[in-house]
Amino acid sequence: MLHYVTVNIDGADIKAPKGSSVLEVAIEYGICIPHLCHVPGLSDIGACRLCIVEHVTNGRSQVTTSCTLKVQEGMVIRSNTDRIKRLRHNIAELLVAEAPNSRAIQDIAVRCGVKKVRYPFRNSNCVLCGRCVRACAELWHANALGFVGRGKDRHVERPLNMRQEFCKGCDYCIQLCPMTITPCDGPMKPGEEYLCGKCESQLMITEEVPDSCAWCRLGEGFNCGRYAGVKS
Amino acid sequence: MNLSKLESILKGRSSQPHQLIEVLHDVQEHYGYIPEEAMREISKTLGVPLIEVYRVASFYKAFKLKPTGKYVITVCNGTACHVRGAQLLLDQATSQLGIKPGEVTDDGMFSIEHVNCLGACALGPIASENGTLGHHMTPAKLRKLINSLNREVKKEVKHA
Repeated sequence: MLHYVTVNIDGADIKAPKGSSVLEVAIEYGICIPHLCHVPGLSDIGACRLCIVEHVTNGRSQVTTSCTLKVQEGMVIRSNTDRIKRLRHNIAELLVAEAPNSRAIQDIAVRCGVKKVRYPFRNSNCVLCGRCVRACAELWHANALGFVGRGKDRHVERPLNMRQEFCKGCDYCIQLCPMTITPCDGPMKPGEEYLCGKCESQLMITEEVPDSCAWCRLGEGFNCGRYAGVKS
Repeated sequence: MNLSKLESILKGRSSQPHQLIEVLHDVQEHYGYIPEEAMREISKTLGVPLIEVYRVASFYKAFKLKPTGKYVITVCNGTACHVRGAQLLLDQATSQLGIKPGEVTDDGMFSIEHVNCLGACALGPIASENGTLGHHMTPAKLRKLINSLNREVKKEVKHA
């Protein structure tokens, strides 16, 4: 039997199954918390930091990623305070500076209200969200991909830098990668990156009802939890 | 590659994933680096995915994935050595041997490395050759050291 706990997210008391994460519950109940590395059915590692929320305990609030935060009885979560918005804005800005060549990440930047990127574009074509790595290990049990190196040299690589015979060739890593959908105007050349921001009209909907999921198209590119089951 | 040594390292450790780092240490000690075949064998014997072995081996600086030269010149780049001109030593070594730090000369005799501290700051700047510390190094002293090693290499070639 499923045990339920009551959590308070943005003022709404929600009955949530024990063991689920705050992000899952919020998506289920139509509360929009932007996220990138979360894929339904895979373990959460809190890599992209986009899904940060404030967890209020004893009058103090702690900022933490909601995908790795499990629901507890009487929890109080705030997902759309000024502090969170400011931090999330900055994180989205850093993500889009790291990898502007992705519609999914450009959309997230728009969703988080990024108007200008203050950081130099690095165009490294990977934000280390680990979607491919986790899908390979957990869904297919192939372990044909993983993180290699450390610090600024950390990157996704195949074992011994070559394709191994145990790679099943399912291409699921490519399907899940947020980099596979290029911006509408095609891939950007190095040195000519820009913030797309063309879908700002979508933002109007999310601004009118700030913390509820307006089913904006901005989440489609990276299979936002809302869209996960819709496509297939 | 001599696999019998690897077998003796892995003996009694099969299906024990937590032994991974110990095994890698032993392999590194014996072969001087971690060969690909060894990684595959470790992965099979310990029951750890190959990517996990590769990830751990690439994460720690103590593990080398490429063979090193016979003579490893290690230049200390710690704070004390740095302010006393460790960069000059590194420049001297790289220009004299024609390789960058982390590389090996074509004949496989020399490799250069830089480390963050060798723990002998009072003796800095330090350049060590295969673990023998050279204290109060200057570019001139380092040049002489490398020249003398070079002569030894030539002697060995003659005898062989």
